[in-house]
Amino acid sequence: MNWLEMTLCFPLLGAILNGLILRSESKTLAQIVSVTACFLAFFSALFLSYDVLTHHEGLKVYHLASWIEAGSLSVPFSFLIDPLSSLMLLIITGIGSLIHIYAGGYMSHEKTTYRFFAYLNLFVFMMLLLVTGENFLIMFIGWEGVGLCSYLLISYWFEEDKNAKAGMKAFLVNRIGDIGFLFAVFLTFKQFGTLSFLDLKNILLNSHTLTQEMQNSIALICLLMLVAACGKSAQLPLYVWLPDAMAGPTPVSALIHAATMVTAGVYMMTRLSFFYFLAPQIMTVVAVLGCLTAFFAATIALVQNDIKKVLAYSTVSQLGYMVMGCGVGGFGAGVFHLLTHACFKALLFLGAGSVIFAMHHKQDMMEMGGLKKYLPKTHAVFLLGVLAIIGVPGFSGFFSKDEILWKAFNYPVIGPYLWAFGTLTAGCTAFYMLRLYTLTFCGENRSDHHTKKHIEETPVIMWGPLAVLAFLSVFIGFVGVPAVIGDLVGIPNFFEHYLEPVIKMPHAAEENWHFLRDHHSHALEWTLMGTSTSFVLLGALLGFNFYKRGPKGISLILKKKFSRTHKFLTNKYYVDEFYENIFVTPLQEMSQFLWKIFDLIFINGFINGVGRGLMISSALSSWKNSGGLQTYAVFFVLGCLVFLGFFLK
Amino acid sequence: MVPIEHYFILALIMFTCGTLGVLFRRNLLFMLMSIELMLNAVNLVFVTASSFLGDLDGQIMVFFVITLAACEAGIGLAMVIAIYRRYGTINPDFLKVLRG
Repeated sequence: MNWLEMTLCFPLLGAILNGLILRSESKTLAQIVSVTACFLAFFSALFLSYDVLTHHEGLKVYHLASWIEAGSLSVPFSFLIDPLSSLMLLIITGIGSLIHIYAGGYMSHEKTTYRFFAYLNLFVFMMLLLVTGENFLIMFIGWEGVGLCSYLLISYWFEEDKNAKAGMKAFLVNRIGDIGFLFAVFLTFKQFGTLSFLDLKNILLNSHTLTQEMQNSIALICLLMLVAACGKSAQLPLYVWLPDAMAGPTPVSALIHAATMVTAGVYMMTRLSFFYFLAPQIMTVVAVLGCLTAFFAATIALVQNDIKKVLAYSTVSQLGYMVMGCGVGGFGAGVFHLLTHACFKALLFLGAGSVIFAMHHKQDMMEMGGLKKYLPKTHAVFLLGVLAIIGVPGFSGFFSKDEILWKAFNYPVIGPYLWAFGTLTAGCTAFYMLRLYTLTFCGENRSDHHTKKHIEETPVIMWGPLAVLAFLSVFIGFVGVPAVIGDLVGIPNFFEHYLEPVIKMPHAAEENWHFLRDHHSHALEWTLMGTSTSFVLLGALLGFNFYKRGPKGISLILKKKFSRTHKFLTNKYYVDEFYENIFVTPLQEMSQFLWKIFDLIFINGFINGVGRGLMISSALSSWKNSGGLQTYAVFFVLGCLVFLGFFLK
Repeated sequence: MVPIEHYFILALIMFTCGTLGVLFRRNLLFMLMSIELMLNAVNLVFVTASSFLGDLDGQIMVFFVITLAACEAGIGLAMVIAIYRRYGTINPDFLKVLRG
């Protein structure tokens, strides 16, 4: 057994053991099994990455078995380990392990934890398939598998109708994206005759000119894949499922809906960067879409009162950043933000989970406040997470966000606008994160007497993983310090160099992307960095000052003054209602019509008619089956006589 | 020497009597006996043909038919008894369980 097989195998074994074999009532046993599985996967992934990156020049294909062999179509179970997939492996299993540990504490009051842990392990397995698959179909298995696990975990508390509906919504919205994925796969096979990433990459990297037809189909593939990414990575217009997905347990929100699954779209675009480079017009769409999503979601997050909803919209917004990074050609920057975001957003979600746990499952920030006193450890790590996400210089979010903004600024024509929106979004992010922090941890406690009496610091099993994540959130950014700062303090940009072998520019695309290689003045970069940082600080200051006296004070005055805007934002731009009226209601009406008119009258009428016709005709014809022995004999003899007469004629 | 037609006509009469007996007697026992009559009509044809053609094959066939008739009578009578015990009658008019 090699390291790859072990990496894939452990989470699957954990899921099978927990979900099918043990089904143990004991919470400890269920947790030990799944945490062990995840940790073993993490260590295998470590060894695997080390092995591949040092001994195999950073690229190895593992061929496990053949799967589909039909004519010219050959899809094996083969897995690709390169810098990108090993990075994803480590994020998934590493952060996954921490979240598994935390989940033990968070879920300690539940009844069927084995089910939860089985799903969680299954999710890790599916996610590993997604990021290691060497061809489109293996990736698609993972893509669908994580969608399934996401559905199962969102509606984990399915006794409540609301949660079951949120799960369904997530699943159905993702299906729209999956259609895009499937059509892209079909088109790729039709055009190139292969589904293997490496083969496709070789074909495209080595071709100097492309026919118009080829370029068109590449653009179409990219567009379809963008639809898929919009579904999975919650971009406009398919982001609506992610905020609702917060109905699931908080560790799930941290693992699936912040750190790993929702970044699958960004991973997929980076994996297919050679396609995207060849479709510059689609790249513009990607960049604009990402930018709009980032801004749009950030504005909604400004006024939400549910602590998890704020973080959910923040996730949508940060994913928008990543997609924008990819769209402007900075795939490395996008993946870098993916890495830092995975750390600090997991931290923030788990921190919010600790708060919710301490508040006995109350999620409304208006009822919190002053928790600094009660939860000192959670408060400390949460503050670090907040500083990381808003991008205070020196924290990880600063480096990755600035990298993306800088790349966006250099994009031709619309670049400065992208940058402006991105910077505005950064300001909004700072505002709503500080609002969240202040409302939760500062001021007076606003909860009722009973809850207040029972608030106490969470057990070590919960704040331990948080501490590790906080450490990562603060320092992980130093692996990708931008050159302009790096040159000054002597830290090389390790990360960009690391991803270089994965993100290669095809020759045919180079003329469109010359600006990526152009030299830009450091002074400009410093200015932009300074501007965005001052926006962040301004947002943070406003956020803190508006809410330091709780929901009263300045925030209340503003709320009254801009009540219409506030209402518009609180209702999330009425997008859900819009979808409800445009898609859901007509669909239901049509289904009603098909059921009542088509199904009940036409189909049922036809089927019942056939049945009734047969009944009548058989009743008519059954008279001859009199059961009388001699009647039969008479007919038999008459028949014989007829034959006899016929032959003796 | 009786001409061969007479034998055949006799056989035909016997066969017809048997057939009509099977079709119209309202008693299972008589129906069985009528079947015997039909079989014996056939035997008569075999024997006649054998004698006129000087070929023994026909007579051998008769032995087979007699064996068969014995078997048929045995099974038939057993069934008649079983039917009588089950339904209390051997009149086929009352035995119409297989009516459609």
